[in-house]
Amino acid sequence: VNDRVGVDRAATARAGSVFDPALLGRCISCGYCLPACPTYRLTGDEASSPRGRITLMRALETGDLPADDPTLTEQASFCLGCRACEPVCPAGVQYGQLLEQWRVHQWRGVRRPILARALTLAVRWRWPLRLFGLVRRAARGGPGPTPTASLLLGCFERGLFPGVSRAARALLPGLAAPTDQGCCGALHAHNGDLEGGRRLARELGQRLPGTIVTTSGGCAAHLADTLGRGRVRELSELLDPARLGGVRVDGRRARVTLQDSCHLRNGLGVWREPRAALAAVADYVELPGAGDCCGAAGTYAMLRPRDAAKVLAPKLDAIEAAGVDFVVTVNPGCLRQLRTGLRRRRSSVRAVHLAELLAARPPGADDGGTAATAAEADS
Amino acid sequence: VGLPADVLDGLALAVGEEHVRTAPGELAVYGRDATPLFQHRPDAVVFPASAAEVAAVLRLATAHGVPVVPRGAGSNLCAATVPLAGGIVLVLTRMKRILEISADELLARVEPGVTNAELGDAVAAHGLLYAPDPGSRVTATVGGNVATCAGGLRGLKYGVTRNYVLGTEAVLPTGEIIHTGGRLWKDVAGYDLTRLLTGSEGTLAVLTELTLALLPAPAASRTGVAYFPTLADAGRAVTGVIAAGVVPATLEFLDQRCVAAVEEYANLGLRLDAGALLLYGDDGDPELVGRNLERMADACVAAGAIEVTTARDVAESEALLTARRCSLPALSRLGALTILEDATVPRPRIAEMVDRIDEIAARHDVTIATFGHAGDGNLHPTCVLPSSEDTDGVHRAERALADVFAAALDLGGTITGEHGVGAAKLPYLQDRLGADQMALLRRVKAAFDPAGILNPGKLGS
Repeated sequence: VNDRVGVDRAATARAGSVFDPALLGRCISCGYCLPACPTYRLTGDEASSPRGRITLMRALETGDLPADDPTLTEQASFCLGCRACEPVCPAGVQYGQLLEQWRVHQWRGVRRPILARALTLAVRWRWPLRLFGLVRRAARGGPGPTPTASLLLGCFERGLFPGVSRAARALLPGLAAPTDQGCCGALHAHNGDLEGGRRLARELGQRLPGTIVTTSGGCAAHLADTLGRGRVRELSELLDPARLGGVRVDGRRARVTLQDSCHLRNGLGVWREPRAALAAVADYVELPGAGDCCGAAGTYAMLRPRDAAKVLAPKLDAIEAAGVDFVVTVNPGCLRQLRTGLRRRRSSVRAVHLAELLAARPPGADDGGTAATAAEADS
Repeated sequence: VGLPADVLDGLALAVGEEHVRTAPGELAVYGRDATPLFQHRPDAVVFPASAAEVAAVLRLATAHGVPVVPRGAGSNLCAATVPLAGGIVLVLTRMKRILEISADELLARVEPGVTNAELGDAVAAHGLLYAPDPGSRVTATVGGNVATCAGGLRGLKYGVTRNYVLGTEAVLPTGEIIHTGGRLWKDVAGYDLTRLLTGSEGTLAVLTELTLALLPAPAASRTGVAYFPTLADAGRAVTGVIAAGVVPATLEFLDQRCVAAVEEYANLGLRLDAGALLLYGDDGDPELVGRNLERMADACVAAGAIEVTTARDVAESEALLTARRCSLPALSRLGALTILEDATVPRPRIAEMVDRIDEIAARHDVTIATFGHAGDGNLHPTCVLPSSEDTDGVHRAERALADVFAAALDLGGTITGEHGVGAAKLPYLQDRLGADQMALLRRVKAAFDPAGILNPGKLGS
């Protein structure tokens, strides 16, 4: 019922009521964001830059452009939503929030892409997710009656990469992992259902006791936006690098690199922590452009596969040129995107989640062998 | 409304259909640049890929009397790229190749759409330096830098863009492709058209290739920070630094409001209780740099500095300089509308100018935050207002800024040191140049652009 109200409200939105005026007023159009934007780098076109998109939002808000102007529709969808424009913005424009508000309007009712509707619908109820997780043997249960921290199992992560939650529990055995927890709503918030996304996050916040620990940068940023930063920790923030064991490949220390999660880095400012953990267990190589989006961008790789592939191609080149055994991700979408891309190229580099890489070698172990067996067993 | 069908067909023929945009949304985003309060939609946006394509577009525009506004990244602050008369916005971002970097000849040849930072990184890989470094260097294109004769943080020691342009390839509005200057440091054959085109703000020709002078990258670079009770005290320290025989690479100041805004963005641990901050630095031989930093610190202490500290390492120096470059956008944290000016005075009169700005702000009841390049007297007094809908506030700000220009001229300065005239400062240009020079500018403009199609309503109008 709540959802229908949300959709109806969006459908009746008119010019002048789409955006929070304080957020929209913040941009002074200096253009410092342009080089940080992956779609501007692809096109060199102002319309596909953060500043240009804010000009478009303003034109929508004032009625200078009609609500269904094709450039508005295209640019609201072409944006990856990676928020790379936020940390470079001296004016502090919260572009991610503006984009969410924009998509509520642009993707109102039947205008939302069918695939986005199907995906958000698929994870709306808790019981199928629960079943999905059980079948795929994701982590479950809890250490005791009053846990201080709970592991977010994720909606898609639970089914696609169940080994991630098991690995997280192996690293932090004190985490509770209740199976009846639902989806955090990030998917909804990024796909035109901001109300629904917020509601799911609040419900999840009530259902999970204590600090919510995530293995997904996208979920972490959305939950922090709704529940407050204090409730949310990304796995790497809780790890003590000194207590992690080494990861070896063919009898030598593994060489690893990290692909940042856009929302973890740009939304929560977490990027040092996963690097510190990796540097403790392996030879860490910084990936050039590690903070640039890989093109997964939540549902983007499914909604706009061609554009996602254009964003991914230079990323894969950089990964292959880095001379590493593993490229490590901190978000399931990135993991899927990189793993698929690298396999398609028959690359020798393997994409793994941070939790899996770290847990494959329990603390104190220093024997040889590869971490790949455990890391890729589920995929 | 809009361009005639035969012009649109001609444009599509010249650059390819997919590189001509006429959708209302596309026109809306190219109707403005980084200048507040100026906006006007063009009739078409065209993305050429070569000088020949630019020539074809310009011939067509001249034949049909269609205005053409060349544009790089649109980061200028004088409304130089706002198409006030409609017509075509000619976007040069597709032309972004670095054609040559020659360490032997100390020069680079580039297309106009490459950004200042991209060029800087590319030449740094050869141990070289492209000196001009405007605040917007990560975004701004080199073509735009040359078209506006961009300045930057290194002006006093290294000069500005005009000191580094050796040659250009430019397309005249009538379609001829000319080559001015070249690879030579000495070349006096003819009028210096290279210098004339540098800073011509897209009113005389469209720049399609640039030959730029490079320097060997300095071996060391260090930065220090001094805090003062007032901005005027910092101004006196600047005089002291120069008197001590140092020509520093960096000499930037920020008033208390700017320091607070920058600190909020960059979290550098800047001191918020001082009236002014002076960022000083030098580069070159490590020993000389060390000695110069000491001399500058001494001069600051002598001028009444509350605190003087030196950046520990390169990263800290870079962080300080980056923060300083972000002063303007960071100021928007104080209010959504920031009107930035760049009145410039002879260096010994900075303290006097700062006092005048304070007096003008009080008289017109506006908030003016000031930062700028102390070394070359280039000030950036910035009016900060809650929003552009505060029309009364905007009027007061405009009156205050008119007084700021008058004060700068009164002190032997100019209305713009590095941002350019564009549409924003055209009303004040005659105060600086006088009627005879204004008339000469118009004759020069007419000689290049008989049909008056290139960036009408700006310089030379």
